[in-house]
Amino acid sequence: MTATPHVHPPQEVPSDDPRVELDAATGAFEPIPPYPPRTERESEFYTLGDGEMFINMGPQHPSTHGVLRIVLKLDGENVVDLDPVLGYLHRGVEKLCENADYHHSIAYLDPLEYISSLFCEWPGVLAFEKLLDVEVPRRAEYIRVLATELNRILSHSMFIGWMALDLGGLTPILYSLIERDEIAEMLAALTGQRLLFNYLRIGGVNGDLNHEFLSRLGDWMSRATTQIESNLTLLNENEIFVRRMRGLGTLDKETAFRMAVTGPNLRASGVPLDFRRAHPYSVFPELEFDIPTRDEGDCLARYLVRIDEIKQSLRIIDQCLENMPDGPIMAKLPRLLRPRPGRAYAAVEGPRGQYSAYVISDGTDQPFRMRIHDPSFVHLQSVGVLMPGHLIADAMAVMASLDPIMGGVDK
Amino acid sequence: MTAMTRTWGRMTLAGKVLFTVVPILLVLTLGLIVLVVVAGKPIVDFLAANLWLVRFVVAATAVLLVSVPFAFLIMYMEMKIIALMNLRIGPDRVGPYGSLLSVVHGLKVLMKEDFSPTGADRLVFTLAPIAVFMATIMGMLVLPFAPGLFGADMEIGLLYFFGVTGLSVVGLLMAGWSSFNKYSLLGGLRSAAQVISYEIPLTLSVVGLLLLAGTMSLNTIVLNQAGWFTDWYVFQQPLGALIFFIAATAEANRTPFDLTEADSEIVAGFATEYSGMRFGFFFFAEYVNVFVVSGLIVTLFFGGWNAPFAWPEAWAVHLTIDPGSLGIGLLFALLIVPPVLILALAAPFFLLRSSMPWWQALIIGFVLFNLLIGAAVTGLAYVSWPWVAGLAWFLMKSYAFVFLFVWMRGTLPRVRIDQLMGFAWKWLLPAALLNLFVTAAALVVVHPK
Repeated sequence: MTATPHVHPPQEVPSDDPRVELDAATGAFEPIPPYPPRTERESEFYTLGDGEMFINMGPQHPSTHGVLRIVLKLDGENVVDLDPVLGYLHRGVEKLCENADYHHSIAYLDPLEYISSLFCEWPGVLAFEKLLDVEVPRRAEYIRVLATELNRILSHSMFIGWMALDLGGLTPILYSLIERDEIAEMLAALTGQRLLFNYLRIGGVNGDLNHEFLSRLGDWMSRATTQIESNLTLLNENEIFVRRMRGLGTLDKETAFRMAVTGPNLRASGVPLDFRRAHPYSVFPELEFDIPTRDEGDCLARYLVRIDEIKQSLRIIDQCLENMPDGPIMAKLPRLLRPRPGRAYAAVEGPRGQYSAYVISDGTDQPFRMRIHDPSFVHLQSVGVLMPGHLIADAMAVMASLDPIMGGVDK
Repeated sequence: MTAMTRTWGRMTLAGKVLFTVVPILLVLTLGLIVLVVVAGKPIVDFLAANLWLVRFVVAATAVLLVSVPFAFLIMYMEMKIIALMNLRIGPDRVGPYGSLLSVVHGLKVLMKEDFSPTGADRLVFTLAPIAVFMATIMGMLVLPFAPGLFGADMEIGLLYFFGVTGLSVVGLLMAGWSSFNKYSLLGGLRSAAQVISYEIPLTLSVVGLLLLAGTMSLNTIVLNQAGWFTDWYVFQQPLGALIFFIAATAEANRTPFDLTEADSEIVAGFATEYSGMRFGFFFFAEYVNVFVVSGLIVTLFFGGWNAPFAWPEAWAVHLTIDPGSLGIGLLFALLIVPPVLILALAAPFFLLRSSMPWWQALIIGFVLFNLLIGAAVTGLAYVSWPWVAGLAWFLMKSYAFVFLFVWMRGTLPRVRIDQLMGFAWKWLLPAALLNLFVTAAALVVVHPK
């Protein structure tokens, strides 16, 4: 059999998805677009070679981390090629922000990545502050760092659980959920919400530290290190887990740069790039912490870098609590914000990498343009480099190790 | 006709059940009476001449029936133990500590829609779960539960077991092929590759044991291991037992070798398109299989129904109570002992706890009395009948291994398919051959002909 282009049978039942058509001969839905291929790449991908088949992974699949759909071209169990199909969770966040005033648009930034909400708010808030030339009180900056570092631990601990779940381990996800729940409860005491915190404000934060938050934090900090360590023993000393992760999906430095990878995924490839040090913002110049890196660039390195980052975050939280200054938590600002026309850009280092926002103001009380850069979306493009050549099981593990959140990908 | 349909539509569920079941039972009873009257004598004569048939039917029925509570218990263990390992509470609503949840699961799959996808091969799709279930149940037929308590004692018991349980892969492949789903197909092919690969180390690992035992009859293998626990074959064949355990885990598709239903990779593998009772059969067969595999490990390597210790004959207790010899005293004992004992057991609770009303103390006394009598009857049965003792030991040991399987499921992640195959061919197979070689050499040295 030679490679022949797919012949399109007449479509009988129109599908909701324009990229899926009903095969009249078999009654099966084949993930082949009904229109003639528009690009070279599309015609190459949707032509089956000898012994190959398409498999439609998602949008309802147990391990695609939300509503990602990947059309995989398989040869047996080997992934030959893939075509990610995005947009199932598109909510038009950028456009929503452009139709709300500055205070209001922070709430729209929140649900971008529902695991790390505070990091989605922060670049937007920073960019607005640059536009308005606001000086944030030091106490507010410290509270911001404290809350976001807690959010980073929350996100990383969920990553550990998901990673194990995608490799077939049932238990670590529940241990992770315990950590996550502790942190969610204490952030709920601080912000009033468990998931979408909506805590940062232009010029400060929404509420001051309170007794419940501090007592929960102290209680948790006293046993966090040992608890996280003991949970990790289940995975780090597990031969099956380590053998599956080592050498899997290796991302070298050059490819990582080419794919615009940032955050822990880049640091796992041996590049010590951290926006908290490279482009300091907030009070990070005053804080002591290391930038953990690994040279291997494989899934195990990406996993271990995140564990090291949890420990560094605990260090930062300790310093924040020690150096917490007194003072106001909000700058004095008018109720209605009208920045002068101009542009501002701000980036922060989140649990997945670079979160940034670019705002254009036209002098009204609404942003003229709001561009959001989300690391999940950027990282997802490197699955095209990493997945082919692996088995299905490993392909899922590779995707999990990049830690994409579909809310951030589809915006 | 319309009136009948309307009446039927107005009936309650209980009424419908009653009006369906009672006529059927009536017809069946009448048929049976007619059959006995017309052809009673020849049937009885035929059965008396072919006792093996009666024995087979009884054994098959018993094995089918007994598999239900065994599987339900394993399902509950899996839910509850993994929940406790995950620091969850697990099932706690139906029955004491949620122990009836697996029964509810069984009823649930019965009531669900029996769906088959467009384009599926309906016949094969329906036969596949039955094939898997039958293969598992037939393996249970040769398991010796206790002295004298087994379906069949074949001279080729072990061979029969491997042959029959190996058939389940045909069912899995049928399911994967007929579902008309690529995930199912991948799952079915994975299971074929996995089960056939692990069949070889599984079979080779017991050849050393067969050399020692000199028979393939499972009953005789158990009898050979009588005495203290040091006589169990696991101490003579440690490597064989280890290989057998690992290969049996793969055969039963349990974690870390549960690639055929890896939910994070191929949704649910061969069972992706199944629902209702067809899925229920797969589900059920999986848990019965866990029990069968544990039972076989116990039978081969851990002494089967033998107790781990052998009392010297001098210590043996021979309790013989002849109720007839007590005469009228028996009546008085039955009349007087229970109330007196209940009062005696209730008294300390009533006297020592001032907050306890008398009726609560009486209830406690009654429950304690029943527990005491239950324990006494069980103890008496254990001492008097060897099959009770044997069954108790067999089930205890088997469920210890079931616990081990559940523990592994709660702890380990899944291996990759190439690691799985590599492990079977590169490590287990040479190790099994080494075990066989060492055993044969040792036998030649110890018992030269």
